[in-house]
Amino acid sequence: MRFTLKVFLTAMAVLLISAPSAFAAKKVTLAYVEWDCAVASTNVARAVLQEKLGYDVEILPVAAAAMWQAVATGDVDGMVTAWLPETHKNYADRLKGKFENLGPIVGGAKLGWAVPKYVDIDSIADLNKHADKFDGRVYGIDPGAGLMQLSEKAMEEYKLNKFELMEGSGATMTAALADAIKHKQWVVVTAWSPHWMFGRWELKYLDDPKGILGGEEHIDTIVRKGLKQDMPKVYAFMDRFQWDSPDQLQMVMAWNQEPDADPYKNAVRFINENPKLVNGWLGK
Amino acid sequence: MTMPIIPKIPLGASIETSIDFLAEHLSFATKAFAKVVESGIDLLVGTMMFLPPWLLILLAAGLCWRLSKSRGVALFTMLGLGLIWNLGFWSPTISTIALVLVATSLAIIIGMPLGILTALSQPAYRLIMPVLDFMQTMPAFVYLIPAIPFFGLGKVAAIFSTVIFAMPPAIRLTCLGIRQVPRELVEASDAFGATRGQKLLKLQLPMAASTIMAGVNQTVMLALSMVVVAAMIGAKGLGGEVWKAIQRLDPARGFEAGLGIVIVAMIFDRVMQRIVVRKRS
Repeated sequence: MRFTLKVFLTAMAVLLISAPSAFAAKKVTLAYVEWDCAVASTNVARAVLQEKLGYDVEILPVAAAAMWQAVATGDVDGMVTAWLPETHKNYADRLKGKFENLGPIVGGAKLGWAVPKYVDIDSIADLNKHADKFDGRVYGIDPGAGLMQLSEKAMEEYKLNKFELMEGSGATMTAALADAIKHKQWVVVTAWSPHWMFGRWELKYLDDPKGILGGEEHIDTIVRKGLKQDMPKVYAFMDRFQWDSPDQLQMVMAWNQEPDADPYKNAVRFINENPKLVNGWLGK
Repeated sequence: MTMPIIPKIPLGASIETSIDFLAEHLSFATKAFAKVVESGIDLLVGTMMFLPPWLLILLAAGLCWRLSKSRGVALFTMLGLGLIWNLGFWSPTISTIALVLVATSLAIIIGMPLGILTALSQPAYRLIMPVLDFMQTMPAFVYLIPAIPFFGLGKVAAIFSTVIFAMPPAIRLTCLGIRQVPRELVEASDAFGATRGQKLLKLQLPMAASTIMAGVNQTVMLALSMVVVAAMIGAKGLGGEVWKAIQRLDPARGFEAGLGIVIVAMIFDRVMQRIVVRKRS
């Protein structure tokens, strides 16, 4: 027994001593969620850090909650896909003071409820009259998202008592939408843009006369505490990194939509085609 | 719907506080441990990726044949892994296999001694069984995110949650196997003056071997069923491919990656089944 304890303690000691050597220098880790806009932005940031600054960058696709948690605990260096003020409000509030916000990389993002173009109504206020045509359902996404909380509020405020807000995920929502469009049925979903569904189908946002679903969203860069001291160059770049316009982001997203597209190759193509913009990010 | 008179017991809040406390004071050790495990896995994956796929497939088929003594299993291994390679899921499959191997080895290294302990000691049995119920039924999502401060994102946190989820069958069936050894035999070995250690190594464990192997098999299967959940915290691999496909509404790729998981699971399962059958005969 004494012997095994000794072995165990020695092993632990060896582990602790050897651990720091496992920290490779010049490695940057970025977390992201598997959304198209996030894939595009994260790969461009990775391309600049690797091709221009010579860092070795790992990008990790995770769930939104895990992404925020990882930045707050300092496990990853940052992310470029924080949807604020509404979508990720929950995470930002809970982890207040444990991360650093370096400002938006793009504005003009939007939350709302969307329907296919062939649906004859234009406002959330008119939904109740046609509840049976919509099957009494609003297709939502993950229950944790800010969009869902706003949608719940909209259900109350517009007194949509004939409707039920379905919880699911981004994938189940788009699947329900795809299915309805295939059969030319009426359907309403909780939506946000930039999102590939607006490229794939003819959709429109419903008017929100009470302004419940929020105004414009922006997508921010969030980095861990202490990045400025540890990697000033990375910090400086992340601070300056932003798209010229939502259209530019949409363009890269469209590239990634093509069959067999490699997001990283597209990101490298983008930085090669926009040297001026990239030099601005690098403070040149 | 709150209960009258008795105020709400602050169960969740106290759990959160203790997690925060532990994260504050323990995470330096768990993080260091995570780094080491991660470099171990990277080494394993690196070695497997270093070999050309066809060679590794032949090696795997040979190994399966050695273990299972069945040509069918070896052939299936060759064709199945060949299909995975053809579909373009070679590297995620390697990473998933490495993850499952490490997680199940850990689960077995921890689980078997615990199983022996529960079989031989009634107090331990009473203590450990309810804990196992917890481990098996608590949804993994619950501790997936809190595990991040301790193990960081990625493979190690995934292994941690996989071990918790997959270990119970190894413990339960080890315990069951030992308890099922006929009383007469145990009494006979006592009569011949066997020590506790001799009794365990020469009688109880060999007699329980096939049941224990069934438990190990269950553990491997459960570990494989965790791969998609583990992808949510960046474990990548085949689970990551499935998860990505689901999020992008790409059923074609989702099914292909899912099929990869099925093939890997079937190879593991058939090989182990054969070992169990051989042990029985």
